[in-house]
Amino acid sequence: MVADLDWWLFRLHRWIWSDAHRRARKLLRFGETEADGGRDLARASELTNDSRLRRLYLRHAQDEHRHANMFRHRGAAVLLALPTRASSTFEANWLAPGERGLDDLGVDQQADDTLLAFLHLSERAAAGRFKVYEKALSFDPSTQKLFADILRDEEFHMDYTRRELVRVSPKKHGWRLFSARAHRLWKGYLRVATALASVMGGLVLLVQYFVVLPLFALLTKLAARREPDGWVVRPPSRSSFISQYE
Amino acid sequence: MKILGISAHYHDAAAALVVDGVPVCVVQEERLTRRKNDASFPLASIEWCLTHAGVEPAELDAVVFYEKPMLKFERILTTALRAFPRSWRSFPHAMKSSLGDKVWVKGIIASHLGVPGKRILFTEHHQAHAACAFVTAPTKRAAILTADGVGEWATLSVGKGERHDDGTVSLDSLREVHFPHSLGMLYSTFTAFLGFAVNEGEYKVMGLASYGKPRFEASVKKLIRRTADGAFALDMDYFEYHTTARRSYSSKFVSEFGAPRHPYEPLDPSSDAGARYADLAASIQKVLEDTMVDLAASLHRETGLSDLCLGGGVALNGCANTRILRESGFERVFVPPAPGDAGCALGAALLVDRLHFKNPDVPCPDHPFLGPPVDAGELTRIATEDGLSVENVADDAKLVARVATELHAGRIVGWMQGGSEFGPRALGHRSILAAPHHTATRDRLNHEVKYREDFRPFAPAVPIEVADRYFELPPHGARLARFMSGVFPVKPEHRERLLAVTHVDGTARVQTVERSMCPLLHDLLGAYGEMSGLPVLLNTSFNLAGEPIVNRAAEGYSTFRRSGIDVLVAGTSVVSKRAPGSAVPILQERKESR
Repeated sequence: MVADLDWWLFRLHRWIWSDAHRRARKLLRFGETEADGGRDLARASELTNDSRLRRLYLRHAQDEHRHANMFRHRGAAVLLALPTRASSTFEANWLAPGERGLDDLGVDQQADDTLLAFLHLSERAAAGRFKVYEKALSFDPSTQKLFADILRDEEFHMDYTRRELVRVSPKKHGWRLFSARAHRLWKGYLRVATALASVMGGLVLLVQYFVVLPLFALLTKLAARREPDGWVVRPPSRSSFISQYE
Repeated sequence: MKILGISAHYHDAAAALVVDGVPVCVVQEERLTRRKNDASFPLASIEWCLTHAGVEPAELDAVVFYEKPMLKFERILTTALRAFPRSWRSFPHAMKSSLGDKVWVKGIIASHLGVPGKRILFTEHHQAHAACAFVTAPTKRAAILTADGVGEWATLSVGKGERHDDGTVSLDSLREVHFPHSLGMLYSTFTAFLGFAVNEGEYKVMGLASYGKPRFEASVKKLIRRTADGAFALDMDYFEYHTTARRSYSSKFVSEFGAPRHPYEPLDPSSDAGARYADLAASIQKVLEDTMVDLAASLHRETGLSDLCLGGGVALNGCANTRILRESGFERVFVPPAPGDAGCALGAALLVDRLHFKNPDVPCPDHPFLGPPVDAGELTRIATEDGLSVENVADDAKLVARVATELHAGRIVGWMQGGSEFGPRALGHRSILAAPHHTATRDRLNHEVKYREDFRPFAPAVPIEVADRYFELPPHGARLARFMSGVFPVKPEHRERLLAVTHVDGTARVQTVERSMCPLLHDLLGAYGEMSGLPVLLNTSFNLAGEPIVNRAAEGYSTFRRSGIDVLVAGTSVVSKRAPGSAVPILQERKESR
């Protein structure tokens, strides 16, 4: 579904990637995402009791590590080829995210089958997304090739997570995929809601900042002028262990 | 009496359990959650400490938080008001962050542990640093100097500590320097300017400094003015950390020092741009060292004491520590293994034990191995499942001989023994060991194992008895090197054979290994010395870039499989790769599945 949406937004993706500054920053950010993903998978390998999964997770972690380096090198190369620093820092990460998209991988709390279902969906979404990016990057063959190379690994990751899910949970793998989809939607909703709440909270605080604080700010600045630089001598036994105020 | 110390919410969360005055368990949250520099409330660490010691939360006499949240909130709010209206961006963020959870620490502790509010105590941040530095040090009386970014208000404090004949302990804080004037923030600002992560990349600045010359020293001195009373004040026009979370240096700073380095810009000190960055690093390092030495020297003159205990994140700067030992007049300098915020968990618990409850002083263990122990059986099980052959070498002498042979053959060994170290340095219980002789080993470690920058040095470990044969240690330098807290010159006649651990300026961050502290590593150094003629090994932390130091055998195994480590030792279990640097079974798995 997400991949379909990405195809619909193909022109937008092309615009997002067309700016070299933004392209460099996005590639560098993708590198961080891949490195984080690699660490999560290494952690999954440390936690699972299934030896076959452990080996596959380790392989997957190594792939992510390699991808991280590929993204970083390409991002750095694009960045260093640019004559000036960018003035805007807009990266459009919500519209064109990295491998994990907006997913939040919680390795520590999940059973093998739940994690595999989640990984499968995440990898599938990433593969779809990276296909769109690859097409959108026809004007930059080096970056296009990078996505093509990584796509091959993503397809392997997508396949093994599906296959292992069926092995680990032969009767309930369909249900696990359904729950993982529902969970991703719920988590997505929570993230959007939290972000919105954060923006609203920020606005309320900002209004208070400009309406309530100016007088206090003036008094504080006047008080600050009377404070000498240098040592502040502590009176003996000033501190109490019971109070968090003094 | 059972006291739990906690540090959390800013960086390096940790928990420490002190029973009858002795630290019994101390662990950093990152080692258990596997999130580097994890600052979240340390539930996993608390759970491990209590479980390991067999203590129920209800049995705790006190739970101590390492700073005073309301004083800190006061500082954050006051700073925002002083910077009005420039602080309009950072104010909502700071308020959401503080009011979200950071000021409700008492409630958080009470709800998680079920202890009544009256048993929850608070120390001041720099008091906790001071206690961690003094109470854990084997000294009767000492001057104390703590310096970091910022606690509540204090960024640097000086004081005195004393163990009295009646068994009581006193810790007197004499003076403080207050925010925004901060040596830690000054150094961190250069860390950010040089494109490294703050609270993580300070080591890199110190490593890079050795490649440069302090040609920007005069410019850096414009940023920091010595006050008439002997303290210092920063010229805040060069900084923005007090007004915004966006960046720590101002446009005036950029005008003075030129364009900042982008974090992804390659850093080669031999290039023109790289040399400028190295010179900047050398300049801030020199100014930091000069200031610290001067502050320590004046504290020595004032107190007349022969010992100094250093605490706070700035005490992780080994070059500054060494200059303090050499130049300040103090005979001995003690730096705990975790002088940063993680150590405050231990400091807070010890402070309340000695000062609030007035319990008699008892000696603390003079080692950092108070974390979770390694389980050799876990490695045996995992490696066997993966089709690797595992040797179980129960005899210590045979194990040491076996590992020494591997090291002598040029192999890289992951070494896990006993309880994990507390603090940022691997001191022989969660270490990667290698032969120290060739630069090729260093390059292989950088490229195939640690995945880190070429300019960063590796540290040597050496038996304390022969340390001054290979390194130029000043009097009592071996004590500073106990927890890798000092940087010392490698003797010129040995540099050719210690290339992998000799930094570009001919120095090394030496660890002196005492048998009573770390017997297996001591024996291993001896055995390696018999084979190679040089009882020195390269010792670096057992982790990959961006990951915390490994804790369990499973984590050591995962690191072993993902890197170029050739041999993994966990307790008595030894696992080798089929071919050095390869990961054959995993690759085969993939081929089969296709």
